[in-house]
Amino acid sequence: MLFSLIAKQMKMLIRNKQPLIILLVMPLVLITILSNALGSIMDGGEEAAIQANLLILDNSSWVQEEKEIKLFLEGEGVTGVALDALLTQFKSGDPVELLNSTVLAADEMKKYIAVEYKKEVDLKTARQDENIDGILNIPSNFRLNYIKFAYFNNPDFPSVSLYLNQDNEIRASIIDAVLTDWQSGYSQSAALLAANLSPQEIMSNVSSVEKVEQVLEASERKIPATIYYTVGMMVMFALYIPAFLAGFALQEVQWKVYDRILLAGVSPVLYTLSIFLTGTFVAFIQQAIMLSFGMLVLGIEWITLEGMGLIIISYSVFVGALSALITTLQFRTKTEGIANVFNGLFITVFSFLGGSFFNIRDISETLGKIGDFTPNGATMSAILSIQKGQDLSVIWPFMLAIYVLVVVCVLFAIVFFPRRGVAG
Amino acid sequence: MLQAINLSKKYKTKVVVKEVNVELFAGESVGLLGPNGAGKSTTISMLSSLVQPSSGDVLWNEKSIAKNPDPLRKALGVVPQEIALYPELSARENLAFFGRVNGLKGELLATRITEVLTKIGLLDRQKDIVKTFSGGMKRRLNIGSALLHKPSILIMDEPTVGIDPQSRAYILETVKQFVADGMTLLYTSHYMEEVEMLCDKIYIMDQGKIIAHGTKEELKELVSDNQTIELKTNLLTENFEKNLKEQFPQATFRIDEEILTISMSKSEEPLANIFAIAAASNVVITSAIVKVPSLEDVFLHLTGKALRD
Repeated sequence: MLFSLIAKQMKMLIRNKQPLIILLVMPLVLITILSNALGSIMDGGEEAAIQANLLILDNSSWVQEEKEIKLFLEGEGVTGVALDALLTQFKSGDPVELLNSTVLAADEMKKYIAVEYKKEVDLKTARQDENIDGILNIPSNFRLNYIKFAYFNNPDFPSVSLYLNQDNEIRASIIDAVLTDWQSGYSQSAALLAANLSPQEIMSNVSSVEKVEQVLEASERKIPATIYYTVGMMVMFALYIPAFLAGFALQEVQWKVYDRILLAGVSPVLYTLSIFLTGTFVAFIQQAIMLSFGMLVLGIEWITLEGMGLIIISYSVFVGALSALITTLQFRTKTEGIANVFNGLFITVFSFLGGSFFNIRDISETLGKIGDFTPNGATMSAILSIQKGQDLSVIWPFMLAIYVLVVVCVLFAIVFFPRRGVAG
Repeated sequence: MLQAINLSKKYKTKVVVKEVNVELFAGESVGLLGPNGAGKSTTISMLSSLVQPSSGDVLWNEKSIAKNPDPLRKALGVVPQEIALYPELSARENLAFFGRVNGLKGELLATRITEVLTKIGLLDRQKDIVKTFSGGMKRRLNIGSALLHKPSILIMDEPTVGIDPQSRAYILETVKQFVADGMTLLYTSHYMEEVEMLCDKIYIMDQGKIIAHGTKEELKELVSDNQTIELKTNLLTENFEKNLKEQFPQATFRIDEEILTISMSKSEEPLANIFAIAAASNVVITSAIVKVPSLEDVFLHLTGKALRD
């Protein structure tokens, strides 16, 4: 019986042009227009923000340290031609040189890290500079220590100090990934040399670029206009489903079909449940179509699909609960007033606060926080968070907000539903 | 047996049904006759458990339906005055839906749909969308939708409103067949000829109250002492009407489409006086018909107004 009620409601939706236009055609058109119209603005801004600024303070240089290295080698009994050959070899294997000329100089790496070199600087002042995401401080005897460590089995590790500005986690992570990779390379030099392998290969720029890309994958992706507006329009237009279903239900009352359904022994609870399930199902299908459109037509790569599935199902459940509530309120008032007010006022305000038109946090953090308590805003924030690559756990507060609203809608629907017909 | 006991319904301060008592026994065909706004639809809504009475009770097989309407609902087929169908669905889809919610499924449902479509004469239009149907076809499908689960009582609320004479005749013939097949029928209408044709027992309702009930013969007996005279004149003047009322103070008068209908006691011999008054009032009577009593006359006698006023 429940299936019959749902199937009938689905047929009514499908065979009416207005719902199909509003629920499917309009959002798809708007997604396409907004993604293209605002793409250049949104996407350009994000691109620049991803480049990290690294300051390298090299307190030494090969020229400055060469004399001490020579003395050390002579002390180790190396002289003459052998000494010159070793110096040439050590110079070409200088980790700082490799970092500067190979790792950070690669074109691909320059996209992610902009480097500034300084010899003498006040470290405290540099640390307070908000534009600097990381400072690599190379001590004065680093090269000598490295030679002792890599070639003469000296256990003292040639350390550098790295300061990371955590104001921007992604940019700090990019610097950290690249320099950790570089350190890892030179720390393994002794072992590599023993195995007749070149440390230069390990410190190659290719693996460092890969590390940066891994960081970007693992942390926040940029959210292009295509993703933003696909999600924004999707959550907004799902809110039109309840008014349509409630409108059909009111027609059933006006046509006395609802009386027939009650006389057939269908309880008001079962009837409301059918509206709830239809709303849930239609919302799920609608959102699946929007996301598929984004993927197939706009080329969006949706990530964390299990999280996406959970969010979309939760939001669909909310749409179902809201459908039941608006149906109940329309049955009580016997007019379409509730649905009209909801469509005309609530959806507009909710969409504004939820960020469907633009990121509300750009104008007010408070409004943004309020928007996170709207069902569409919570859903949008949850989806965008995981699309940025954030951990799945970030969605739980948003899911809690959605399910609290589900419970509220269901409770009100149960309390207000007319138990014994809706007298005309 | 379905019984309404002192049934009343009040919406805010307006009482629309006042202490109505109705009895419907198995196999009976009962008519509820009354003008628009008499309270017929509210009465049948209460009888079919859709509207809760403000006072009084409805008994189904001597048990109140107030707490458990389900046994009555299972036995009931209701044809509302409105076209209670889905216009976007086909005739068959509509019947299939109402059959399913009534618990029918599979082959039994398919068979019943075909039987009903045959009975209402829409088998050849079963796949057509209802919104493309004529008013008469929709009315027939409206009736068919109440028959799928083979109800033992059929309640029909003005099933011939707003349709052409041909469709009306078809529907009346169909309902007549239901009655002949032994179905219990409660039929409401403001067309007295429909009720007269279909029903054994008639309740006459006006302004929310049952003002008379009985068989056709019993009701007509109420006006057996009366006679109805229909006069057509060249001109109906106020003076002529005034003189008639003075001459026949006990009679009731009604003017409908230039026909003056006078209802009065049979003991009077009015024609000679009427013609005399007409002559004195400079009115020419073009026809005068003395009619046998009908339910219309009964209603006129009881309320002083016509059923369709």
